[in-house]
Amino acid sequence: MPENTVPATSTPAATSTSAAPAAEAVPHRSLRLGVAGPVGTGKSSLIATICRSLADRLRIGVITNDIYTDEDARFLRSAGVLDPDRIRAVETGACPHTAIRDDVTTNLLAVEDLEADFSPLDLVLVESGGDNLTATFSPALVDAQIFVLDVAGGGDVARKGGPGIGRADLLVVNKIDIAPYVEVDVDRMVADAVAARGGAPVLALSKNVQPTVAALREWVLALMERHSSGVHTPVDPGPMAPHFHADGEGGGYVHSHGEDETHGRDGAHRENGSHRKDEAQGRDEAHRREGARGQDETPEGPAH
Amino acid sequence: MGTPSGAGIAARIVTLLLADARLPTGAHAFSSSLEPALLDGLRPGEIPAYIRSRLLTVGTVEAAAALVVARDPDAGTVAEVSTALEARTPAESQRAASTLLGRGLIRLARSLAPAAAQLGPGVAGRSPHRAVAMGLIASVWGIPEAELVTAMCYDDAQTVAAAALKLEPGDPFAATGWVLGIAGTVDAVLAEALPVTGPASIPAPSSPMIDQWAQAHAARDRRLFSA
Ligand SMILES: Nc1nc2c(ncn2[C@@H]2O[C@H](COP(=O)(O)OP(=O)(O)OP(=O)(O)O)[C@@H](O)[C@H]2O)c(=O)[nH]1
Ligand SMILES: [Mg+2]
Repeated sequence: MPENTVPATSTPAATSTSAAPAAEAVPHRSLRLGVAGPVGTGKSSLIATICRSLADRLRIGVITNDIYTDEDARFLRSAGVLDPDRIRAVETGACPHTAIRDDVTTNLLAVEDLEADFSPLDLVLVESGGDNLTATFSPALVDAQIFVLDVAGGGDVARKGGPGIGRADLLVVNKIDIAPYVEVDVDRMVADAVAARGGAPVLALSKNVQPTVAALREWVLALMERHSSGVHTPVDPGPMAPHFHADGEGGGYVHSHGEDETHGRDGAHRENGSHRKDEAQGRDEAHRREGARGQDETPEGPAH
Repeated sequence: MGTPSGAGIAARIVTLLLADARLPTGAHAFSSSLEPALLDGLRPGEIPAYIRSRLLTVGTVEAAAALVVARDPDAGTVAEVSTALEARTPAESQRAASTLLGRGLIRLARSLAPAAAQLGPGVAGRSPHRAVAMGLIASVWGIPEAELVTAMCYDDAQTVAAAALKLEPGDPFAATGWVLGIAGTVDAVLAEALPVTGPASIPAPSSPMIDQWAQAHAARDRRLFSA
């Protein structure tokens, strides 16, 4: 960003809050992982599970977006899975959607402050204020996101789709331990979800079922690995809704964007080359902007 | 005023953007202390009076500070105005809200072409007060003084009105009327703010109830708005 190339003038603004000493170390840029999903599906519990199972491997921070209280932050602090100072609550002014998508400012500043205060952090988890099926994170805020459904919401929710279900980096079908009590067939729900996601990962989880917790841990570690080796590309699940492609013979299929690889191999899309190209450029463009945005006051390495 | 073109239109668009609640600067989480005021017993019927009181106190200080910065947008003025603002903002929580919003504003402005080079940390610092950020932005785009002050007053009134609709049952049309109703008050703010000649002459009215409400809110654990 240009501000970093302009030589600093001699006198930095001299108030306690506005000084930006040139010598200040650049905080380590963590992997920022969003957790979204409807109210009560187990987002906070999932974050606690991640903290608990990865405390030995990763330096973690947490931002919660509470709608009316700081209950989520307090729940996590009291869970004893992380130093309470590393868990911060952000108010969203009754707009949990806005705070993770249209205007991520408050969350982004909170993430950066956490990274600066506890540098180096490997992973910052951002819990969205439990909202509805359509709320997803902007890549301006997070590098990857988990969308959490639970069996108690009904077995057919996964099939109904939506941006988070369709295109989050991971879809979690949570609380599978209580599936028998709510008459949900977990295998069926997971199969529906896999179909809705064009094969992208789906994890059946319960905090009370150890192998599923281990699988979550492995997924996070694999993501960290892809992120730090530079091969992970943040995807925005939001703007492009699943859409229909005619096959010229009166048929066709619905598909979702988000998985580049699937795309490149996709016959129908190769025919429609310009569409694909525009989209790829759009992504690159968005990327560059995000990179610039990641640099608030201090020069950082490439965001991705 | 003649029909603007080129830079004049850009200045007008920036003014409209600054007054737009959709501007991505984090302001949607703020109620201009209306939430704590209502919790402490302010009656909904008193909200228009609350809006006026804010404009004549906090609003006037912010407007004058922004103008001083806009006229002389260098690091020295920014430092002096920041000190003057802090001296006039006794509630720590209000100073914190102001620098958080200013940080969001300056960060956004820096991402936009003409401002990037002019608003480096050497001038604006990391987290300038909101009024300082407004003044710096006004200087970059050449926003006329009366328009800047009007936009700032509008923004504060609209913040209260929009928060009111989330905090109390009420008619959105009535809330729109409250905002339009500030015209006379904005005249009074302009009369105070325009003649200000430097950091030392920024007015120093007090608003102890607002200070008290803001402080109480910072310690509250059930709240919809950050401040
Ligand atoms: N049986 C069972 N209950 C769970 C599981 N995960 C979470 N819960 C319960 O589900 C309820 C909601 O969990 P939270 O983690 O608070 O859900 P949340 O999505 O963060 O909720 P909000 O932030 O209010 O939207 C709590 O009572 C948890 O104990 C699980 O794997 N199995
Ligand atoms: Mg929660």
